[in-house]
Amino acid sequence: MPAPVSIVRAPAYDQRLYETVRRLLAEHRLNVRGRTVVLKPNLVEFEPQSTINTHPLLVHAIYEAFRAMGAAEVRIAEGPGHRRNTLDLADAAGYFHTVPRFEETFVDLNLDDVTRVRLARQVSQIEKLYLPNTALRADLLVSIPKMKTHHWTGATLSMKNLFGLVPGGVYGWPKNMLHWAGINESIVDLHTAFPRQFAIVDGIVGMEGNGPIQGTAKYAGVLVAGRDVRAVDATCCRIMGIDPMKIAYLQPHTPADASLRAEDIRQLGETVAATATPFALIREFQGLRLASPA
Amino acid sequence: MSFAKAALTETVSRPQALAARQNADGGWSYVRGVSWTEPTVYAALALLSSGEPEPVRRAVQWLRAAQRPDGGWPPQPEVQQSTWVTALVAWLPPDLIGQEAHARAIRWIAASAGEESDAIFRVREWLLGQGALRAREAPGWPWVPGTAAWVAPTSVALLALRKELRRNPDARLENRITLGRRFLLERMCRGGGWNHGSNQALGYPTTPYPETTGLALLALRDVRAAEIDASLSLAQQYLRECRSADAWNWLRLGLLAHRRLDTTVLPAADLRLRTVPELALDCLTQAALQGHDEIFG
Repeated sequence: MPAPVSIVRAPAYDQRLYETVRRLLAEHRLNVRGRTVVLKPNLVEFEPQSTINTHPLLVHAIYEAFRAMGAAEVRIAEGPGHRRNTLDLADAAGYFHTVPRFEETFVDLNLDDVTRVRLARQVSQIEKLYLPNTALRADLLVSIPKMKTHHWTGATLSMKNLFGLVPGGVYGWPKNMLHWAGINESIVDLHTAFPRQFAIVDGIVGMEGNGPIQGTAKYAGVLVAGRDVRAVDATCCRIMGIDPMKIAYLQPHTPADASLRAEDIRQLGETVAATATPFALIREFQGLRLASPA
Repeated sequence: MSFAKAALTETVSRPQALAARQNADGGWSYVRGVSWTEPTVYAALALLSSGEPEPVRRAVQWLRAAQRPDGGWPPQPEVQQSTWVTALVAWLPPDLIGQEAHARAIRWIAASAGEESDAIFRVREWLLGQGALRAREAPGWPWVPGTAAWVAPTSVALLALRKELRRNPDARLENRITLGRRFLLERMCRGGGWNHGSNQALGYPTTPYPETTGLALLALRDVRAAEIDASLSLAQQYLRECRSADAWNWLRLGLLAHRRLDTTVLPAADLRLRTVPELALDCLTQAALQGHDEIFG
């Protein structure tokens, strides 16, 4: 049975987010006192007016919430897959302006020290992977993606967001070896490599259509969060009007993978039906459309 | 000089700042931490151009020790695989890195190509219904062996091979360079400039990036074509709008290579040198403006 998934309404990127996030995290009773927490937003392109990147105000609200919960260290970390100039990207996305002492807090995962990891469970063709030490040493890795459609996988959410953990300094820009190893399979393997995860999806304003870069803004007004990242992504898909059972990387790959049927996920807060906001899909993915939101 | 806060408009000794950041093992990190091949090569080239022999000697020592049995170089010694950075090391003069070491690197580069240009791969894709059986693809270079070719590693490899061709004329090398240039020209975006890969994805045109546009122009230095003119005009526009030191450096180098750099264009006051490569490439650009071109030789 998957762990519970929260859906909370978040009308805008404003100061109310700080209290919303605190209540959201309290609901899941995370014990981070004295621990290291790494926040992993999605930074992609130099388009501050677009909805490509995770909003910095949300990331800062999450950062402050974990500090208030007694985390010994909270880092913000990302390894963009297309552009190498990560700090400039973060600056253009508003992170320097929004997060005090951002540069001291931030780690460019593309250029971090790495360790070779043999994947515990291999679904893709990747046998071993060099992964950044900052992420490997985190007591809790918090995936903070944008709620977006994706022109290869259908949707890009918490699990796909982990592509940013794979260091470009080793594998290049983009991280093409993940595509050659099987995109969906690589998503599954990366997810498995980090057992201590939490997800908070930025669904206040997401992206529909030809995501994850060339789509259009889509207001959904929600945050979706939980420890079971697969269940969080499945819930997001339903909100977006996408059938999670048709998203390849969400399918169970072992008997231990919990069911993602709607009736098997315990939703906290709002319901999927109350927050459903169908996202436009490109022609190739019309077959992913969910029959009904519940 | 506080590295993270160095603005491009500050008048400080950048070669000295670069030398001060050299690790004890002779290499350079990207920002802090362990030494990596890419920043070490850029730093070595920059300090070579500014006449700092001792840090260069130590850098070369580090690089020589890092060469792998297959003749290539890894991104950093912890990584047990040779990758695109081999071509960066080959930018260094052979008498500096060692004639044999350099020759092995050239052989490694010449034998490397994007997986999509492999004939068996194309036939297999055709048999699987992944599109028409295309005529031979002009092969570029991948970031990592066993993957597709991309604009940046192809540009870096072309620069290395071109330098080698000038030292040792070779018909096969010349042909490989010709094909690599064709790869870049075929991937130019509509209207000019280069994205990091193809000029379209799923039927949608991709947007050019300033840094890959600059790097590709540098690699196509000897090429005269109408498409280059459109990319040069775009590069000049990007230079005026630049938002990163990385893009600023590559655009200047690319425009300089085609004698189209307007030196009156200044960087934005808040543009920062955030990494060793950015600092080193700025040094190299300054040196090139004074006639000491360590990248092209």
